[in-house]
This record gives sequence, structure tokens and C-alpha cells, in this order.
Amino acid sequence: MEVVVASGKGGTGKTFVASNLSIYIRKNLGGAVAVDADVEAPDLLLALGGSVKERRREAFYGSYTPVIDLSRCSRCGRCVESCEYDAIRMTEDGPVIDYTKCEGLGTCMIVCPSEAIRLVEEKTGEIYVSETRYGIPVVTGELELGKGNSGRLVYELKDRAYKLASEDGIPFRVVDAAPGIGCPVVSSIAGSDLLLIVVEPTPQSLKGSKRLLEVAENLRTDVAAVVNKYNLNPDYAAKIEAELGVELLGRIPYEDVVVEAYTSATPLLEYAPDSESSRSLMDCFERLRDGWLR
Amino acid sequence: MTVYTVTGGKGGTGKTVVAVNLAAAMSSMTGKRVLLVDVDVDNPCTYTLLQVEPTVVMEVKSFKPVIDDEACTRCGRCVEYCPAHALVLIPGSGLTFVETLCEGCAMCMYVCPEKAITRGGRTSGWVKEAETDSVHLILGELKPGDRKYHDVMEKTLEHARDVWDKYKIVIIDTPPGTGKGIRMALEASDIVVAVTEPTKLGILDLKRLNRLIRMVGRREVVVVNKYGLPGGAHGELEAYLRESRVRWFKIQYDRSLMEAYMSGRTVVSYDPEAPSSRDIRALAEELLKEAP
Repeated sequence: MEVVVASGKGGTGKTFVASNLSIYIRKNLGGAVAVDADVEAPDLLLALGGSVKERRREAFYGSYTPVIDLSRCSRCGRCVESCEYDAIRMTEDGPVIDYTKCEGLGTCMIVCPSEAIRLVEEKTGEIYVSETRYGIPVVTGELELGKGNSGRLVYELKDRAYKLASEDGIPFRVVDAAPGIGCPVVSSIAGSDLLLIVVEPTPQSLKGSKRLLEVAENLRTDVAAVVNKYNLNPDYAAKIEAELGVELLGRIPYEDVVVEAYTSATPLLEYAPDSESSRSLMDCFERLRDGWLR
Repeated sequence: MTVYTVTGGKGGTGKTVVAVNLAAAMSSMTGKRVLLVDVDVDNPCTYTLLQVEPTVVMEVKSFKPVIDDEACTRCGRCVEYCPAHALVLIPGSGLTFVETLCEGCAMCMYVCPEKAITRGGRTSGWVKEAETDSVHLILGELKPGDRKYHDVMEKTLEHARDVWDKYKIVIIDTPPGTGKGIRMALEASDIVVAVTEPTKLGILDLKRLNRLIRMVGRREVVVVNKYGLPGGAHGELEAYLRESRVRWFKIQYDRSLMEAYMSGRTVVSYDPEAPSSRDIRALAEELLKEAP
């Protein structure tokens, strides 16, 4: 089973919840593969104490770059007309591609009657699997700086995690998504069994969560939510609980010990198991277990 | 005219808070209105802190296929070619289009041997605008469920470029990350304001972002937001900042900043004498001096 942890707004505590959920599942439900799908800013491995051993690493070729062979080009302009991103313009020397606009999808290659365009594969990231000291393998994707097509990298990560879980007989996968609702987040949610939204008591987070719910609805994914840092604004937390309209697993308070746990690179459930935040996390996870985790 | 891009690798470090407060502070210091461009199209939040309701000035359109079921022979060529796997052939029923996955490249239309696919349009997002006494806001918003967020960002930036010569100060507020969208926003800027927080994750993401900023080759100022956060990794962060020899400023973590954010206001107007407000004004002054 795959659970994806997401939030429409950044900094609400996705990695906090995903890392501790992985710890909880490892201890009580037979194990989890953790997946860091925030490929532009991957942090999950660090939140799980860092790598003790790297199992494997591979290059990810996520993008294609069209290259025009001007000796074959008849200057017919079909590539210019067919590009939906206005990335090709005709010059005296023939068609020229603006690679900052190009999405590398290859429509230009297909429409070219002279077969003058070919696509060259481009390395845009890396995928690596690390062991952590908690017995939780972490699949991390890292997008190269300034590159696009992160959604495709997320699909690959989820595929690697699925295979790893099948090979090693691990029952659960926990996916830590990127902030927002864009392409990589759509890929993170697509195919998951449950979307767990982490919301904080701010108008910005409520708005982001509602936008995320629309995405989940399109993809027909089950949804549950936790309210993180509820004590920063209990009134607004109550408003969120009333307005969000999804199953709430519980509220987690913000305490200084949450930041201290990060500073020592230890998941909270290990760093301060008796803290109020840890106990609240446990309550949420038990409700998750009873309702969804099978 | 100077373009400041406010960014930060990690989510939730306070990019929007810094961008909106800077806009307010810089406007009152210069006596001129500031152009604020919000390209965090996934969840644009600047307007909630400015307490305005932006109106749509432009729709961002993308291609979507229109399938003629009569003409379609279920040959599967479009399914095979679609780079986004947005077309599915379901045995017994027919060709199904999944709009959420579509990248709008129109490949399907060109590869169909029966010409059974024609051009349809969809809205991927909107460019909106709003005005306050101190700020002209241009904002991009992605339609939830659509994946063409880079397109919406690009169109928002293009729209802003058409008018930004009229302003002395332009501030771009970005989404988190270090990918293509951030690169676009960095390339548009003269000076980058990288917002981080004193946490281990904040440091890790700042390091990645700094590599991108150097790649693009822009002047950089780091802002340590939530400075003084109890339990934070201040020593590690300051050691990194010293080592990387970057100019940096702090914004004190205080109650007023939090309260202002919760109530949807700028802290510089909510509590002008709060330590965080003073820090923001000091930052604004320095940034104005940095202008080329």
C-alpha cells in the first residue's frame, strides 16, 4: 500500500509527518519504503538520520532535446507551426529552438517531413536508494538544478519503491511529495492509495489544501488530513477542521522539541517519544492504521 | 529599474512574507509604488497578505484533444505516441482522455492516421492583477488538476515584463524548489534574495539553491528568517554562510510576525516597532543600496 504525504503550501510539515510515519510503520506494521518525491529540494533522507549505506544509484534521463539537422531541413516551417510552446522560430539560417521554452515532447520531430529533427536524451537527475539506521530504505530523486519534467522523475521513483518493496517483502510505501499542486505533485498522488494532507492553521495553508483536494478529486484518491502546529492558532485550527471536509486524523502541537529533533537529525518519535507532539503523532497514526493501513 | 527575486529552496521559509513586507517597506521608503509579481502559481498567497482580491486579466490556454469517436478506429497510435500517457484505450469502450495528465503537446492530433483528433482548448491557469496604495500586484494561478505550471509561470512573467519598465522596483515571489521554474525567475532578476530558516533542512536546501544561483550568475543576498527559532541549527547555518562569503541578514522570530501572518497583514504595518519589522526595514534599505 502507498500513502502520499502532501500539502498545497510549503513548510507545513510534510517531511516531519512522512519521516515519523515511516518510523511508526516500521515499528508496528512490518516496514515501509520511504520515497522522497520533492526532487527539487529532497530532505527526507536527512530527516531519517542520513544514509548509513547506499544500495544503488542510477542516472535519470528525463528529458529529450530536439536537434535539427539543417542540411536535411527544407525550411517548410511545419515544426514552427506545430510547437505548442512557441519554442521554434524561423530565421534566415533555418529554424532555431529556444531551449528554455522547449518541453522536449517531440511533436516537431513527428511533423517534420524531411526527418531532419531527432531527439537526444538528456540526463536530468539521479535516483538513489539508501539504508538508514532505522531499517527504513529511502528512495531519493534529485533533479538537476534548473531542469524540468520532474513529474516523470517522480513516476520513476514510485516505480523503484514498488519494486524494492515487492523484492524485500515490505508492505508499505510512504511518499513525501513536493509542496504545491503542480506536475510533480500530480505524479506523486496518481496511483497512490491514500493522500495524507498536512495542514497548518493559516489561511494560506487552508487555501493550498483546498486546491490539493481538487487534484485528489480529479485522480479519485482517498484523502485524510492532520492539522500540524495547531496550537499556533487554535481558533483557525478549528475553522480548518470545520471547513476542510475530509477525515481528520488529529492535531499535532508545535513544540521547540520538534525543531531540536531536526537539529539533531533524529525523527521526533525517536528523539522525544514522550513529548506531547510525539504522542499526538502516535494518535494520528493509530487512527490511520485503523481506517486505512492494511 | 531593479528586479529582486525572492526565493528559497525549501517550502515555508517565509518567501511570501519577505516579498510582501519588502514591497511595503520599499514603497514607503521610495515614495513609489512597487510592482510585485507572484509566480508561485501552485498556491499564490501574496494577495491574502495584501488583503486584496485580484481579478483575471488573462487566461492561460493549452491544447487538448477533441476525439471524434465515429472516425476513431481504436488503432492506438495516439496512445503509443502520447508522451504524458494521457490517452488510454479501454477494451470494449474506446479512447479515453485523462486531462490531468495531458501536457498539451498536440502530438496525438498529428499522429492520428484518421484525423479523428482535432484541436480543443482548455484553461491551464490565469494571470490576475490587483492594486493597493503601495503595490501593483501581478499574480499567476494554476488551475488545480492541471500540470502546466511552468507555462503559467512563464506567461505571468511575460505579462509583468510588458509593464515593469514603468517601475523603479520589481519584486518577484517564487515557489519553493530549484527546478526550471526557479531558473526562469532567477534569470529575470538583477538581485536574488534567498530566504532560509535556521533548521537543518533549511540549510540543506539553501546549499542546493546557492549552486543554482551561481550557475545562473546573479548577485545574492541571504535572509535568515525565523532567526532565534528555539532549538534551531543557528551555529551550523552561520558557519555555512561565513564559509560561502555571502551577504546575509536576519529577521527575528517574534510573536508579531506570526500574528501578522495569521491575520493576513504585513508585519511592518501591523507592528512597526517589532524586532522583525525593524529587521525588514533594515533589509529593504540595504537592498535599495544594492540596486545597480
